[in-house]
Amino acid sequence: MPLPDPDGVPLFAERPEWADVLPLEQYEDVNPIAPIFYTEEYKAATNYFRAIVKAGEKSPRVMELTESVIRQNPAHYSAWQYRYETLTFLLASTTSDSTPKGALPPLLAAELTLMDELAVQFLKTYQVWHHRRLLVSLTKQPSRELALIKRSLEVDSKNYHTWSYRQWLLSSFYGADENGREQDDDDEGETIEAREVWEAELDFVDTMLAQDVRNNSAWHHRFFVVFHSGGTEHEAEKERIFKRELVYAKQSISLAPSNPSAWNYLRGILTHTRTPFATLETFVKPYTVAQKSAGDAEKRDIVDLDNPPPSAEAELPCVQALEFLADIFETQGASEPGKENTEKAVELWKSLANQYDTIRKKYWEYRIREAHHGKEPRT
Amino acid sequence: MAATPSSSSDVKVADTKTLLVDLHVSYIQKLGENKDELMYHLTTHLRLNAVYWGFTALSIMGRPDALDRDEMVEFVMSCWDDEAVIMSLQQPSGVFAGDCWGEIDTRFLYCAVNALSLLGRLDELDREKTVGYLKRCRNFDGGFGSVVGAESHAGQVFVCVAALAILDRLDVIDVDTLGWWLCERQLPNGGLNGRPEKLEDVCYSFWVLSALSILGKVPWIDAGKLESFILSAQDPEGGGIADRPGDMVDVFHTHFGIAGLSILGYPGLVDLDPVYCMPANVVEKKGLRKGWKALERRS
Ligand SMILES: [Zn+2]
Repeated sequence: MPLPDPDGVPLFAERPEWADVLPLEQYEDVNPIAPIFYTEEYKAATNYFRAIVKAGEKSPRVMELTESVIRQNPAHYSAWQYRYETLTFLLASTTSDSTPKGALPPLLAAELTLMDELAVQFLKTYQVWHHRRLLVSLTKQPSRELALIKRSLEVDSKNYHTWSYRQWLLSSFYGADENGREQDDDDEGETIEAREVWEAELDFVDTMLAQDVRNNSAWHHRFFVVFHSGGTEHEAEKERIFKRELVYAKQSISLAPSNPSAWNYLRGILTHTRTPFATLETFVKPYTVAQKSAGDAEKRDIVDLDNPPPSAEAELPCVQALEFLADIFETQGASEPGKENTEKAVELWKSLANQYDTIRKKYWEYRIREAHHGKEPRT
Repeated sequence: MAATPSSSSDVKVADTKTLLVDLHVSYIQKLGENKDELMYHLTTHLRLNAVYWGFTALSIMGRPDALDRDEMVEFVMSCWDDEAVIMSLQQPSGVFAGDCWGEIDTRFLYCAVNALSLLGRLDELDREKTVGYLKRCRNFDGGFGSVVGAESHAGQVFVCVAALAILDRLDVIDVDTLGWWLCERQLPNGGLNGRPEKLEDVCYSFWVLSALSILGKVPWIDAGKLESFILSAQDPEGGGIADRPGDMVDVFHTHFGIAGLSILGYPGLVDLDPVYCMPANVVEKKGLRKGWKALERRS
């Protein structure tokens, strides 16, 4: 609910510079199912706001008024909208030669500073991010935004708007078109900058995942960075990137085996590169059996990048590994005359249905039926 | 507001193992009177939604007359905007903006497709362009996001899948991968979340279930456990359903909880069309029913 202004700024009605405006009450004739009740201060500010909109006024004080409304109710859609219209109007009418070349007009710079504060405060409001999007389209300074997003993700590391704003920025300013090619091929300077940004972005994802390896938003962003944009056409480079990602996913699984995000990522990169799941059989198997306490510990000292073993404290077997191995067996079984591997897959699905993942019993039973009816394997 | 007599006049302590229909009906009726409970709905633009949520929930409970029809019609008509035209909001990329301010999202694309379909004006839509945008929102996990490049999220999966259903383009979906991702949303307590590693929430009962029923995969999840989870989020004193047990109720979660229960075949409820999120008979009458499958209604 809206809070009274903590600074005790007088209501608009008490201020001489607003005396010329006749506040407009909200039309309240009908009795809707969800009437909304606000503080007096909020009502007063929105009454002035309605009057300003009706008169079509776009002056510096409108910036002050809309800021007041937004601070009390950051989801006030039309206040944001009118604020932006007023801002662009004021910018167009105050363009002067006094602003040094390359610097932002003072009005725009002030707006960005205010938005830096509000973005962190009203993190969960769509409008905050959309307003930034409009501003950065004016400033064309995305690097500043990337830094701000980083700060705001420190407050809420899974905020959907924040992440999608970052993805929008990256693809709009440094992005590849739909065919995976970078937009500014002719402009050598920008291409180099873009490459650097994408590389830095991968470091950024590494940091986010190092903080929380279960952050699905960060895993999604990783796929976005690695495969969707700034991608490469060279086969050798593609191969290098795939190997790197494979090692990364396996290492992450070895740290926290029952992490659905890492397994989904692993499946994602295999599918994307059309790599058979069976190539990972050796890696997956240790995750599908109960933890052995004795001899395995020594094996862990040997660093095997291709097949990192589960951590000593991992709870095994893990559901995702059983599922993965069953997929491998299902595929192998489909091309065998005796279907021995199909039966191995069925055994694994039965263990999921009856012991390890009982909440999805019906799903595993469905998989068993499908395999027995000779449905095309999925991988 | 015209009140229908409630049969729960002899108040007994209600349990949360069954759907407390009378209590929910009176909770929704009181929304128009009891102002304090609506502090949750801070913004004016949510009012129209509240009418839709309240009225649809009542209709699914078989009590569409519990709110004054003329009053609702009058309110909805007071939101009429002479200048707004749906088609003008489609962007060159194929997505729709929410309004002239330009915020884009697959939610708005769904709203546009839904409304054009109800109005019988889908022929004015560039289907290829619209479907093309949805295709580009598809992620490696089979799900869909709010814009191109954004993470899969159950709410966005619903809007994209339902839009594709209306456009008869479910072929765009990788049913096995998405179906699995959706049933992976169920947590040990029966509730569903919207993304991996997030908390369960009653409203996802609808976002996840509707998509599953459009894909014909509702039986993949544990319906009994989900039903108990939704019922346990009811307020047995004041009525209404919360996002999870023990939290404050609101009309949004009341509606989506009841919608979810309808898809799960809960006894006595009216069939809900998961594509339009409206009573199925309304959609059928307009000849718009698609090939979704809910669980059979129990008696
Ligand atoms: Zn919710």
